Amino acid sequence: MVELRENERKTLLAIERLGGKASVEQITNESGLPDSTIMRAALALQEKKLLKTLEKKQTIIELNDEGKLHAKQGLPERHLINALIKLGGKAPIEKTVENAKLERRFVPIALGWLRRKNWAALDTKTTMLQLLEKPEKEGADEKLLKLLNEKGQAISEDLSPELQSAVQILKRRKLLEIDEKTKRVIEITEAGWKRIRRGIKVISEVTQLTPELIITEKWRRTKLRKFDVTAPGPTIYPAKIHPLQQIIQRAREIFLEMGFTEIRGPLIETAFWNFDALFQPQDHPAREMMDTFYLANPKAGGLPKKSLVDAVAKTHEDGWTTGSKGWGYKWSHEEAQRLVLRTHTTSETIKYLSKHKTPPTKVFSVDRVYRNEKVTYIHTAEFHQIEGIVVDKHVTLRDLMGTLKTFYSRFGLRKVQFWPCYFPYTEPSAQAVFYVPKLKHWIELCGMGMFRPEVLAPMGIKYPVLAWGGGLERLAMIELGLDDIRALYGNSLNWIRRTQMCRR
Amino acid sequence: MPTINLNRERFCKFLGRDITVQEMAKQLPWIGFDIEEVGQDYVKVEFNPNRVDFCSYAGVARALKGFMGWETGLPKYEVNPGKTVLFIDEAVSGVRPYMLAAVVRNVKLDEDGIVDLMEMQEDLHWGVGRDRRKASIGVHNLDVVESPFTFTAVEPNSVRFVPLDKTDEMSLSEILEKHEKGKAYRHLVDWAEKYPLLVDRDGKVLSMPPVINGELTRVSSRTRNLFLDITGTDHRAVEKGLHVLATALADMGGEIESVKVRYPDHSVVSPDLTPEKMRLRVAYANEMVGLRLSEKQVIECLERCRLGARKVGEGIVEVAVPAYRIDVLHEVDLVEEVAIGYGYQRLKPTFPRSVTIGQEQQAHRLANVVRKIMTGVGFTEVMNFTLTNERWHYEMMRRKPKNIIEIANPVSAEYSIARQELLPGLMKNLMDNKHESFPQRLFEVSDVMHINMGLETRCERLLHVAAVSSHATANFTETKSYAEALLANLGLKRWDIKAAEHQSFLEGRTAAVYVRSKRIGLLGEVHPEALNNFELDNPVSAFEINLEEIV
Repeated sequence: MVELRENERKTLLAIERLGGKASVEQITNESGLPDSTIMRAALALQEKKLLKTLEKKQTIIELNDEGKLHAKQGLPERHLINALIKLGGKAPIEKTVENAKLERRFVPIALGWLRRKNWAALDTKTTMLQLLEKPEKEGADEKLLKLLNEKGQAISEDLSPELQSAVQILKRRKLLEIDEKTKRVIEITEAGWKRIRRGIKVISEVTQLTPELIITEKWRRTKLRKFDVTAPGPTIYPAKIHPLQQIIQRAREIFLEMGFTEIRGPLIETAFWNFDALFQPQDHPAREMMDTFYLANPKAGGLPKKSLVDAVAKTHEDGWTTGSKGWGYKWSHEEAQRLVLRTHTTSETIKYLSKHKTPPTKVFSVDRVYRNEKVTYIHTAEFHQIEGIVVDKHVTLRDLMGTLKTFYSRFGLRKVQFWPCYFPYTEPSAQAVFYVPKLKHWIELCGMGMFRPEVLAPMGIKYPVLAWGGGLERLAMIELGLDDIRALYGNSLNWIRRTQMCRR
Repeated sequence: MPTINLNRERFCKFLGRDITVQEMAKQLPWIGFDIEEVGQDYVKVEFNPNRVDFCSYAGVARALKGFMGWETGLPKYEVNPGKTVLFIDEAVSGVRPYMLAAVVRNVKLDEDGIVDLMEMQEDLHWGVGRDRRKASIGVHNLDVVESPFTFTAVEPNSVRFVPLDKTDEMSLSEILEKHEKGKAYRHLVDWAEKYPLLVDRDGKVLSMPPVINGELTRVSSRTRNLFLDITGTDHRAVEKGLHVLATALADMGGEIESVKVRYPDHSVVSPDLTPEKMRLRVAYANEMVGLRLSEKQVIECLERCRLGARKVGEGIVEVAVPAYRIDVLHEVDLVEEVAIGYGYQRLKPTFPRSVTIGQEQQAHRLANVVRKIMTGVGFTEVMNFTLTNERWHYEMMRRKPKNIIEIANPVSAEYSIARQELLPGLMKNLMDNKHESFPQRLFEVSDVMHINMGLETRCERLLHVAAVSSHATANFTETKSYAEALLANLGLKRWDIKAAEHQSFLEGRTAAVYVRSKRIGLLGEVHPEALNNFELDNPVSAFEINLEEIV
């Protein structure tokens, strides 16, 4: 026998008392249970095939403004016939209308219905109105008007056949507002009746196990309600570390797993460390205002010790002792002192390498950089750069490729190639590209290369330096399945709440 | 970066053999091209600015033929001795001191060839000329003018000529005022007393470098003999620009002929396409790339990159670098040529054997501890930009700007200053999430920037944490409890909370946090006027703490 919960029992018994068929409203009144409880119980009972739901059409009728006026004052044809009776059953139409005190606009309506109800006839030649039969005191249409005026509205299907026919009349006379609704009626099924006949006892059930029940051990005598364990509960969103931050953390972890040491430097740098120390000529396009944020306040910073600055200057001008031709221009101190929002983290890397010259050195950063660009779906003015550096006596370009392959494979990116590329401070240079099957296209992951002698010599670095740098956001977009980089910085709570934790 | 759209059929003519677009897209990346687009009958590629010689079909074909092994080694370019003479007048020395020239005869330019030539000029103006400042190029119909030519400088109103694409004569100053190119490039000459001008024997104007050519010498598909002029402020740029252009035209079927260039104090014969000789140590190349190539193999690799190479000693190769290469500054540049010639696709990744122990930065480690505590007490992290503007950062928070780090050239007014605090960003986040369910508890642990004139960068980067709680009953006590939970779990034993005043917070419900008598933070109920400014309906309690004292 199917198990019934307390509220299901109560609902079933209430419907039984209501004759086996009732609306939710009626059951609410009968049982004293709230609507929502009855709905839930009825649903469960329906699944157990003890109840079924019937849908019933309801036509709710109400008087419109004209209808209300007629209900109050009486129908116009009633006014006219009363006046005619008073005038002795036969009178000129003009006179009758005058006596009836009828509004002009209702006259044609009144005349039409006099004829239709067969109360009087109009002789068109003489314009005399002649009473035909004495009308009943109150017609069905007038009864309905009265009823609706008193109750405000009625359900057409619940009215007597007489009044139901009057609904059609008033509807035709355009005196009604009509609204059709579907009403649900719940009915006990054959199985339901069988179950009732077997007897239903209402035992009180407890939903929540309380401290009181536990302490007093009353739980032993209490019926604990059985739950529908499949019913959905409310959604919970855990407080969360930002999805982009999770990916930053994962990138940092991978570096740490690979034995790299983290470095961190200022966000605002002198052009010297951001560009000059990396052998980027002072007229290099990347240094132009369109690409780099320069500061208006404070405007210029300081330079490191003179010997270092001079070595960099000479290298730019004619190659210094490096064996290079240099860029062949006059290097400017002022240009080097300008303050910029760093365009890459390599500014910190080169500074670090100038102070830590004993190999092996493996350092990294995953940190903020800036580019003076309009914010669009592919660009933001600030973003994070992943940077890794390996310095050791015999490291090679192939070692750099291997290091990168390992790094990106931990993000699930296995189809990676290395194409030749150009950067002012590395040679040989390459870019790592990753194949996106959906786009049938290779996408750049990062730039890479070995620092040029023109970069190393002024800093006093004697060993090969492997370097790579790429956007973290690009990786985050692949990982999070985003097409628009702005979503990463939009801080939509809805998006953060629904984005799953990074499990790479 | 510059791009070039390679029509397959036309490209095949330069290659001298048939190749599919798929094969183009597959091979071109290995010599340094990025594939932008692959169409039915074309491949659009992007190239790096160091290889301006890739700016023409001829240049790309030359490189690909070498890489595929179809035609390797140094390309040969003959320069026939010519009778054309160019005088450089003393007058140009202050405004545009250098000029070189070349004649190219018997060219047959079809419409595609003209387009190619124009695009090549644009790429050279950008890549070598730095937007015409260091160098600019003019290509002329030689047959309508007469040698000797003179590069001189004249009074702005003394000469009139018809500039390219116009029908009426204009004076030089009118060109700078009215002509589109004049307006765009006037800054390169308008400061000088006299403007540069290139004229022929009879005073006919070829061009007004670096602004505009004359209509007279316009090049069309009927032009057979060309005069190339290249002027500038940087001799190397002038020379390299000319070499790239002359060699590309030679590859397109032209015959290069020399011009005698007579400076006031010396003469040169131009163009001088003699390859430059450099030395490469085989061991150096092998060490850098991680290979064990023999001298012979190294020579083969270099030849695939269209360089000349021969052994001149044990482990030493002499490399001849063609005149159109602008990017070879150092022996290390030849190492990359070896790697490209060998094929990046053939380089097997290895892993460095260096043994090191990793370590993270204290600041990031601390930030992560803060993240754990704050999410533990139910706050969700947000990440805002460190750049903002005065309105969002100060005005909305009822504050007056003070000691702002200001950007000189923001591309958008949205980002004109560096943030000093995190809280204004969090308020904006609440505003943007108004329609989401409450309570809303958000935090950020990140960088702010303050001026500090004692540092080399005059600015410092500080790690802050800030948190906001927004719901119908958010209040001072709540935020104080959260702030103290954070401090206690960070291991602080002692701190003081004292009444304080701040424009962004409600009077009497604001406090400052002190550690070792140093003020490190602020907490309280956000001022209702600020709430109105951010269109927030619920009260907000908040704190912000400078973590630098705790690191």
